[in-house]
Order: sequence, then structure tokens, then C-alpha cells
Amino acid sequence: MSGQNIFDKLQNIDRKVFYWVLFITLCVPFMFPLALPIKVVKNTSDLYDGVTGANIEPGDIALINFGYGVSAWSECAPGIAVCTKALFREGARIVFMGSHYDVELTYNKLRSDAAADFAGKTYGEDYVFLGYFTGGESAIAQLATDAWTVYPEDHFRTKVSDIPLMKDFHGWEDIALVLSSDTGDVGSYFLRQWQGAHGTLLAEIGIAMNGSTDYPYYLAGNYFGLSIGSRGGAELEVLIGEPGEATTSMDSINASHILIVIAVILANVGYIVQRRKA
Amino acid sequence: MVFAITGIVTVLMFVEYFFFPQDWIVASTVRNWSVIILNISLGLGAVRLIMQHVMGTQRRRENWQFSALFLVAFVIMLFTGLAGYLSTGVATSNSVYNWLFNHVYTALGATTYAITGFYIFSAAYRAFRARNVDASLMLIAGCFVILSNAPVGEVIWSGIPAIGEWFRFVGQVPGMRVFGIVGALGTIAYGFRALLGKERGFYAGGAED
Amino acid sequence: MAIIVTGRVMTFILLILTFAAMYYYMNLGKKGKIFKIRTLPAIQAIPEAVGRAAEMGQPVMWTPGIAGGLNDATQGPQTLAAISILEYVTEECVKAGVKIAALCPLPDALPLVEETMRTAYTAQGKPEEFNDEFIRFFSGQSAYMTGTLGYLQRERPASTILVGGFYYEAVIIAEGGNTIGAMQIGGTNNTHQMPFLVATCDYMLLAEELYAAGAAISGNPDALGSIKGEDMIKFLIVAITGVGFLLGAAGITFIADLLGM
Repeated sequence: MSGQNIFDKLQNIDRKVFYWVLFITLCVPFMFPLALPIKVVKNTSDLYDGVTGANIEPGDIALINFGYGVSAWSECAPGIAVCTKALFREGARIVFMGSHYDVELTYNKLRSDAAADFAGKTYGEDYVFLGYFTGGESAIAQLATDAWTVYPEDHFRTKVSDIPLMKDFHGWEDIALVLSSDTGDVGSYFLRQWQGAHGTLLAEIGIAMNGSTDYPYYLAGNYFGLSIGSRGGAELEVLIGEPGEATTSMDSINASHILIVIAVILANVGYIVQRRKA
Repeated sequence: MVFAITGIVTVLMFVEYFFFPQDWIVASTVRNWSVIILNISLGLGAVRLIMQHVMGTQRRRENWQFSALFLVAFVIMLFTGLAGYLSTGVATSNSVYNWLFNHVYTALGATTYAITGFYIFSAAYRAFRARNVDASLMLIAGCFVILSNAPVGEVIWSGIPAIGEWFRFVGQVPGMRVFGIVGALGTIAYGFRALLGKERGFYAGGAED
Repeated sequence: MAIIVTGRVMTFILLILTFAAMYYYMNLGKKGKIFKIRTLPAIQAIPEAVGRAAEMGQPVMWTPGIAGGLNDATQGPQTLAAISILEYVTEECVKAGVKIAALCPLPDALPLVEETMRTAYTAQGKPEEFNDEFIRFFSGQSAYMTGTLGYLQRERPASTILVGGFYYEAVIIAEGGNTIGAMQIGGTNNTHQMPFLVATCDYMLLAEELYAAGAAISGNPDALGSIKGEDMIKFLIVAITGVGFLLGAAGITFIADLLGM
């Protein structure tokens, strides 16, 4: 360490220092919000238009897949909440299902985030929660052709034959659109087995990490809309006019993004100066 | 035997996809079987886990206390879940199970996900160095894309979102398309080699040479 | 009534062409034609990684990522390709007298991993040295990440092989490996994790390189022939894309309509 000048140190800042600085940087905006304006991008506005426009008529059934767990709530839950509210306000009926083992927690969170909209709806007639499924892409393919074999009961162990909404849902032909929100590949299962095979309208509400992978499918028209990460959730909250958790988290995202750029610049200043000296 | 089953299942799936506009009962049945087999494998993993930690505890290996703790947690979750399931038909009806799941397991899971941000930060700090022209271009593009993803980018300079979008449309999206296409071809080629018995991984080291 | 489902005709034709091309070149390979593929630095680095572990007296760690459930159409093959690489890594480790740990979060892949390692030990004439405690199972993504990080901190492997289908645990495990100064070889077909592995690993197998690794390691002429066939189809796709682009720019949608058949 002795003999290291400032430029050496800039290249080799201990990661513990960074982690502390990042932690503090993420916390400060919650205490002193910046509330910067959020510009809505086309992929998000297409998603919102898709769930509120001509794609959905009163009485249509929409399928919402919770492919994310508690760890991804901050990125996916706000977008799902906005879309659920929008679909209910259009008079659509919604089938909720999940491919993540803590799907019940996610469903309960959605019930709490969209409490006012759920209050006016009747379980079994306006919405149903089918619960967790296993089987991956095989199960999604089977869901498209015979949903009752994948879900003989809902999450609360009521036979689907006793649920009024489920009498109208047997396969892909009965679904107006699918919204998949996931941290992994379940969206791509729907892409292949529903959108690709049957042309069902499909949109993705995904985490930021998957944004670059999902974007080509949106540009190709496979997804009618795409919400990317917390920013997408914040944009959807702007569109519906109800700021929520995603909007609150934007300040921390701003701070962390700036910090990464500053750190990279500092490292490169040190690197370039040292290289010139050598 | 594995070879024959692989071949038959492949042909069934092909035939269904290309020749049947609706579900074909034979392929559908095979898919159901695959779901059942997958669920059985979950039990296999649980058995291995128990064996691993029981042996670790019995032999007092290093950190055996954590193996013992694991076994205690396993038994608690198993029996509380079963108790809920047996009494009401829903595993999550037991209050102890729910409390442990909601306040311990999911909280810890969310915490480990949060670590991702910190690790990406340190990885970016270490990886984004202008070592050569390519790395410099990647660095510049990366900075613009990072800032364009946050609302603050537009506040700093109104051109940042436009440049970031340009990098995304011209660089990122075509690149992802390329990887998607070649990856798909690679998957097809791998599957074809596996069908012909040429892939060792598929046959656990027992492939034809 | 159409024989092939409408909208899937071109897919069928292209798939048959792909199989035909690969089969043709595999046959040429069997008849003695030698196909050379470019060297994959990541595969070339495996003996170096094992040698590093031998010098340092530390183990080698292999892990396939949690995304690659074997019933998944796009993730399962990645795990199987990773297991092909595991066999090679295990054989090198046995030759060098280095311990290898296989950290596997996939219950359906466990029997394959165990059998592959056992076969590798047997092939090297040391079946008695195999112990199924070399294989550790973690259930769930969080347990897998934290368990692997714990293994890295405790055992401090000299080299890590991170190949297969990964989700966000890739960056955490790879960065954990960097923390202890391990030599890292990565490989995945998941485009959302490639950037993280590229940034954190010393060598990388990108997309189809992961699938070609098994053929490259074995050096079988017919397996290499399949890669040649795959490349021929790539040329065809590039040609179709180029012609389609030019025609599309001129307002002629013939190629797009043809591909949509």
C-alpha cells in the first residue's frame, strides 16, 4: 500500500467502502425525496394501452402469471398492481396463477395494493386465484389446451367445476390477453406455447435484468407491451395517475445509477493517468 | 433404453407440434408424465439433502452445528406444513408455518436478492476499464445506457435518453437477437447430437464415441 | 386440409434442413473428413484451471446454475452441456489429484451429475476415490447462492467453473469467486446473464459455444461435423435475412410472407 498515489487508490478502492457508500446513497432519497419527473417510454405506454384499450372488453378474461417472488416485489409488483386495477376498471375478469413458491404472499400483496378495486369484485365470478403450479413449460403448454388438467382446484382447494369464472376458461381461446411477470423464463414459456402457437396477446412485466432479453420480442411484436423493472412500474403508476411504491423507489434508483457512473469514472481516471505515466 | 425413450418422446412432440393444430392426447399424456417425474425429483433432492446433513452431524464434521440446525428447520417446516395440510387441506393454514415462511424465509430471500445490486456495483467498478478501444466504447455506451434508464439522466442532459436509446436499438437489441438466434441453433444442434447418442452429458458419460 | 399446421410449415422445412445438414456433415466426419473448429479459449483454460488448483492445493468448484431444470426446453440443454464439461473437468482433476466439488441446485440433474463423476473416476482407474460427498445439493435459489458463497469463503477453491443456465445468482457467485481470487470459467446461453459472467469471469463460453463445448472436448469427427452443419444453416439464415432485408426495403414482403407460412 505504501508508495501508492491517489491514482492507484482510485483504481483499487476497497469494495467495503463502496458498499457502505451505496447503502447510504440508497437510504438518503427516502428521507429527502427528489421526486424527479418520470418520462414514459413507448414499450410501457403500449402495455398500458393494451390493457385499457380495444384488446379488452367487459367480461373478457385476462390471465396474470406471478412468476416472481418476494425478492422481486419492488420491480414487478407495482406494474402488476396497475395492470390489475386497469383491467378491473375495464370490466375484465382475471385469472391469477403463479410459478413461484411464494405466490400466495404475492397474491396477498396484490390484494392489498389494489384493495379498492378488489373490494368491488366477487371471488369466483370476477377473479380467481389458481395458485402455484409445477411442471414448467409442459404445464404452460397444457394450460393452453386444457387448463382444468393443470388446475383441477384453485389455491383454496375449490374444484374448478364449482367456480363460475373457470367454467368460461378451458384454454387459450377463452383468454383475451396474458400478462406474465417473472424473474426468469416463464414469460418465454407463454411466448412459445401461447403467443407463438396460438397468437394470444401477451405482455411482459419483467425485472430490469431481463429487459434487454425481452426487448427484441417487444420490437418483433411478440409482446404487445413491456414494462422493465421498477422504472416500468413507476411509468405505469404515472399512466394510471396513482403514484405508489415504484415512484418512491425512483429516487434511490437515480442515486445508485449516478453513483455507479461516478465510480466507473473515478476508476478510469486512475487507470488512464497511471497508464500514461508508465 | 434412455436412447429409445428420448427418440420416441422427441418424435411425439414433433408430430404434435407440426401436425396437430390442437392438443394430441398421446403427447399430452407424455407431458403429464414429465410433470410427475419432475415432482418426484423434488423428493430426490430432499432425500439427498437430509442424507448429506445427517452424515455431517453424525460425523461431527466442521460446522456440523449448521447441519443440525438445518435438520431442525427441515423437520419444523415439514411437520407444521403437514399439520396445516391434514387439518384444512391447505399447507399454508398453519400459523407457525406461515410465520416462519413469511418472516424468516421470504425475508432472507429478499435480502439475498438485494445483495445483487451491491455485487453488480463492484463488478462494474472492476470490469469497466478503458483498456483498449473496444473496452472504451463499451464503457461509454454503458454509462449512457445506465443514465438513460434512470429519470435523472434526462435532468443531467436532455440528450442522454436519446443517446441511451440509440445504443439500445443499434447495439444492445441486435446483439441480443444474435445471441438468441445462435443460441437456439446451438440448442437444436445439441438436441440432434443427443438424439443420435453423441452427447456425453445427456447419457451421464455413457454416450457412444 | 393442410397436413402441416398453418404457420408452422416454414419452421418444419427449416428444421428438416437443419437436421439434414448436420446429419450430412456428421456422416462426412464418420467417413474420415476432418473438421476444424476454432479453439474455445474457455475449454483450453480448463487444464490451466486444474493445474492452478493442483499448485495451490485447493479444490476446483463446478456449478451449473439454478435455471437449468431438465424439463425446460431452453434451460435444460444448458445443464446437460454443463454436465458434459463436468465430465472433462472431473477427469482432469482425477489425473492431477485435485479435489472437485459439484454444487448442484437442480434435483433432477443430481443423478446425472453423480453418474458422470463416478464414470469419470472409473475411466481414470480410480473409482474408489469417488465420494458422493463431492456433490452438494442446495434447494432454492437463495440457499444455493448463500451456500455457494459460504463454500467459496470456507474452501477457497482455486478455480471455479460456472457453466449452465443461470439466473441472477450468476453475478453473486461469480463476484464471490472474484473476492477470493479464483480463476473463473463461465458459460451460459441466458442472454440476461451473459454480461455479468463476461464482466466477472476470466474465460467465457457464449451462447452456442456452451453447446459446442462437449463436441470440442471429445473431438469426435461426427460431433464436430454437426457443428459444421450448424454453421451452414447459419449462413442460410444470414442469406435469408439479408435478402429479406433488401426486398423488404424495396417494399417486397415475399421473404417475410414465406417465413410466416
